[in-house]
Amino acid sequence: MAGSDWRDRYGTEGGGPRPASLGVMARVFSEDGLGKWALYAPTVFVILFFIVPTALTVVWSFFERTMFWMEPGFTLFSYVNFFTSARFENFLFSMLHSSVSVVVSFVVGFPIAVFVRRHVPTVAQHRVILLFILPFMVSEIIRTFMLRPVLGRNGLVNTFLTDLGVISEPITQILFTPTGVIIGEVLSFLPFIVFSGFLAMEAVPKYIFEVCQDLGASRWRTFWDIIVPLAAPGIFAGSVFIFVNGIGVALIPSILGGPGAVNAGLIATQAIIALDIPLAMAVSAIMMVTLFGLLAIGHRLFNLTKILEPQA
Amino acid sequence: MNETKDIAIEVVGLSKSYGPVRALRSVDIAIGRNEYFVLLGPSGGGKTTLLRMIGGFTKPTAGRILLHGVDVAHLPPDKRPTCMVFQSYALFPHMTVAGNVGYGLKLKGMSKAEIQVRLDAVLEMVGLNGYQARMPWELSGGQQQRVQLARALVLEPEILLLDEPLAALDEQLRKDMCIWLKHLQERVGITFIHVTHNQEEAMSVADRIALIADGELVECGDARQVYRTPARRFTASFMGESNLLDGTVAEVSGDGTVTVDVGIARVAVPSADATAGIQAAVSVRSEAMRLIPRDQAQGADEQALDAIYQEEIYLGLMTRQIMALPNGQTISVRSVSDDDEAPAFQAGDAVRVVWKTAAGRLHLS
Amino acid sequence: MQDDYANIWGIRLQWAYLLAVVFVLMVPVFYNLYISFNEFGFGAARYEFTLDWYGVIFTDRLLTGAMGWTLALALVTVVFVVPMGLLTAKLFKQAGRRLKLTVVAVMLLPLFVPADIFASALLVFFKQLNRIFQTVAEMTGIGAFETWFELGFMTAVIGLIIYTIPYVFIVILITMGRYRAEQTEAARSCGATAWRAFWDVEFPQIRAGVFSSCAFTVILAFNEYVRTSTLKGGFDTFTSVLVSQMLNIGMSEQSYAMGGLISAVAITVIGSIIVFTLVRTDRLQRIERAKAQPVGAD
Repeated sequence: MAGSDWRDRYGTEGGGPRPASLGVMARVFSEDGLGKWALYAPTVFVILFFIVPTALTVVWSFFERTMFWMEPGFTLFSYVNFFTSARFENFLFSMLHSSVSVVVSFVVGFPIAVFVRRHVPTVAQHRVILLFILPFMVSEIIRTFMLRPVLGRNGLVNTFLTDLGVISEPITQILFTPTGVIIGEVLSFLPFIVFSGFLAMEAVPKYIFEVCQDLGASRWRTFWDIIVPLAAPGIFAGSVFIFVNGIGVALIPSILGGPGAVNAGLIATQAIIALDIPLAMAVSAIMMVTLFGLLAIGHRLFNLTKILEPQA
Repeated sequence: MNETKDIAIEVVGLSKSYGPVRALRSVDIAIGRNEYFVLLGPSGGGKTTLLRMIGGFTKPTAGRILLHGVDVAHLPPDKRPTCMVFQSYALFPHMTVAGNVGYGLKLKGMSKAEIQVRLDAVLEMVGLNGYQARMPWELSGGQQQRVQLARALVLEPEILLLDEPLAALDEQLRKDMCIWLKHLQERVGITFIHVTHNQEEAMSVADRIALIADGELVECGDARQVYRTPARRFTASFMGESNLLDGTVAEVSGDGTVTVDVGIARVAVPSADATAGIQAAVSVRSEAMRLIPRDQAQGADEQALDAIYQEEIYLGLMTRQIMALPNGQTISVRSVSDDDEAPAFQAGDAVRVVWKTAAGRLHLS
Repeated sequence: MQDDYANIWGIRLQWAYLLAVVFVLMVPVFYNLYISFNEFGFGAARYEFTLDWYGVIFTDRLLTGAMGWTLALALVTVVFVVPMGLLTAKLFKQAGRRLKLTVVAVMLLPLFVPADIFASALLVFFKQLNRIFQTVAEMTGIGAFETWFELGFMTAVIGLIIYTIPYVFIVILITMGRYRAEQTEAARSCGATAWRAFWDVEFPQIRAGVFSSCAFTVILAFNEYVRTSTLKGGFDTFTSVLVSQMLNIGMSEQSYAMGGLISAVAITVIGSIIVFTLVRTDRLQRIERAKAQPVGAD
């Protein structure tokens, strides 16, 4: 037997020859101190450059405004400024538009997730869902800006409808109205309800559909009594995403909305440009509280960890 | 196989805790060189944890692992003279059989020609010559396990660790592989440590068996000895099929037997040392018992218990008869099936269960 | 499992609906491409195919410079974010339940925070850090980190890393999900160090996920506007030039061509990944079938 060669092996450093240039990575992947900590580094990075800044927005929102920046202090001025001006009204309207976008996205998108889960063979399901990545991978700048020529006076939709003879006068009531904003939001965020809905539907075993059929449940009852409750965590996560982005992404209302279409993202951006830093931070803080409040409620209701947990 | 007194592995006070959960509690085992050693026990009992600590995949919380007297507890698996065979899924799916088996040699920096020679030799040994170019998914479960063995053996380890190597195989194949493994171990003459929850598998390959349950070493000994004369109550309940009677030691007589009060009766069991009044259990293997009508007397060298006949279950080779004792406990008696006989008893019949006094075993723990 | 009694036309109708939704989502992109190839631009009565507008992009010095910066940002982001995603996925695999949830929550949170809020918070954070460092430098004379977080290439990269890491993490985690940890242990048992085991055995099996996440990252970084333009400081990127053109001059023929170019690149890359995945799944399915019928008896 290989009498003593393992004893030679165990005194030496590495296990066999390896290119020197890989030395660093080799250290990173070894189980000793350095390697162990390297695994945590990215998480620490995200906490440091994302969680900490977003949490600090709450602190900064109470700072005093100075000419070009802000200074430590405690004042509710920014909040008063936000809640007593037209900004708050705009904010509430953007919430309303956002809610409509959530409902429309759910109605349009969620049935797709159910359909894919139910009727597409298991191996092909992910590929079909992958189709919805495609629009998402095109810059939202382009998708949003292009809605102007698409929906505009002599744009695609109007030309098409006029050519068909459906309308005689171009429709001009879409662009620069809340409808335009909602269309923009739905087209931008729809893929997310399909993704999260599909993830949630993976938790619904396929035999459920057969059981329901066997018990004589109608499609409608199956949908509301079985599918929606089981997929609730995913539906909720997707809805929160759309809602929060609807009130937080400045681009859509600023390109597609009319003069009054101002949401939280736009208020924050404008405040930064106007060098009212505490106001921008107050708006950010309100957004973060809204987001975490919704996630907390969702977690209490549906235990969101179910979808967070293992796709792996 | 354990004619040499050489100790290959010694485990001293080995413990593993996962937070408050103690997976293994201070286990001591010595395993001889060239021994086929089996770690047997129910799932979740800690046997795999022990094997993984010997292999270097799990770090012990406390204790020492001595390989030929050198403590290796701090070393990673690649620096130990051990090699592991896993239950399944452990072949590299993107490499051919030759790639898999030759991987360890390649790491050692061996020349291609030499790898080729050793590769062919080891594949010949496991009966897979000609399979060099196959991919793992082109092999059956048994062949995959033999590739795993070849991959381990080609490195000429001093100790081969097998973690439930046959668990994913079907019944018949597992039986064949057991015999094959035993012969292989005799041929290569190195230490095999084999983990299994299957008692028959353990009996058919082992020189010695260690029974591990609830994180503790219950009993360790020669395979036959563990089966025939288990020292602990747990061993008796786990190995084979035994009837257990709990009670207290009533009397210690000079002739090497002890009388145990099991509540409904007193039974005598052979034993060397016991003190009256302590808790004890008596076990008798179900095939060592037989059934007689209540009005018939047992032999002079036999013990008996009154029981009520309940039912008979035909198992093919064996037939199992089930009785109830007056205290409600059931007793099962197995015997080789008679083809032509109608059942000798009806449900509700008063019967006696008898066994040779020498077949009884006393367990003080 | 197929439902033999299902109405085949009902299913076809649902398929048609699904494809129609994807098509509608893509309409702005297709329309953009359509306009960009018209010599007479948007809204013109005549349509004549031309590639001239694309030619204009490559002769515009401002644009080619912006393109260079964008590419540099995208590549540097990839270099950092992909190993980061890989490490985090490894951490996730070996973590206990609580740590797993923390890691997933931290990694996925950037996905939920809207771009403008994200950008404002980070902008103020960097500026504030900078002010603190400057004050420290004035007081102590230690100027070593005075310019660390001045807005520039690095802050833009940090923003992009945070933005792309959720996607990278998820994609790598999903590919790693199919990997069996026993194989790493088997490799270790054969004498491989942790690194060799990763490189020889695990990496070849998750390579597809790593490459796809590289492609995703490049595309996301290329497309990103709000975070990059807020955090980048002085230089121009492709999207910032595009947006300032659209806002200041309006939609010119050149901006349609820029939009068309960037969409075409993204669609080509993602399209080829999808096609590649299709081919791969087919291969995996064949393997699956082969497994069901092993070659040769035991």
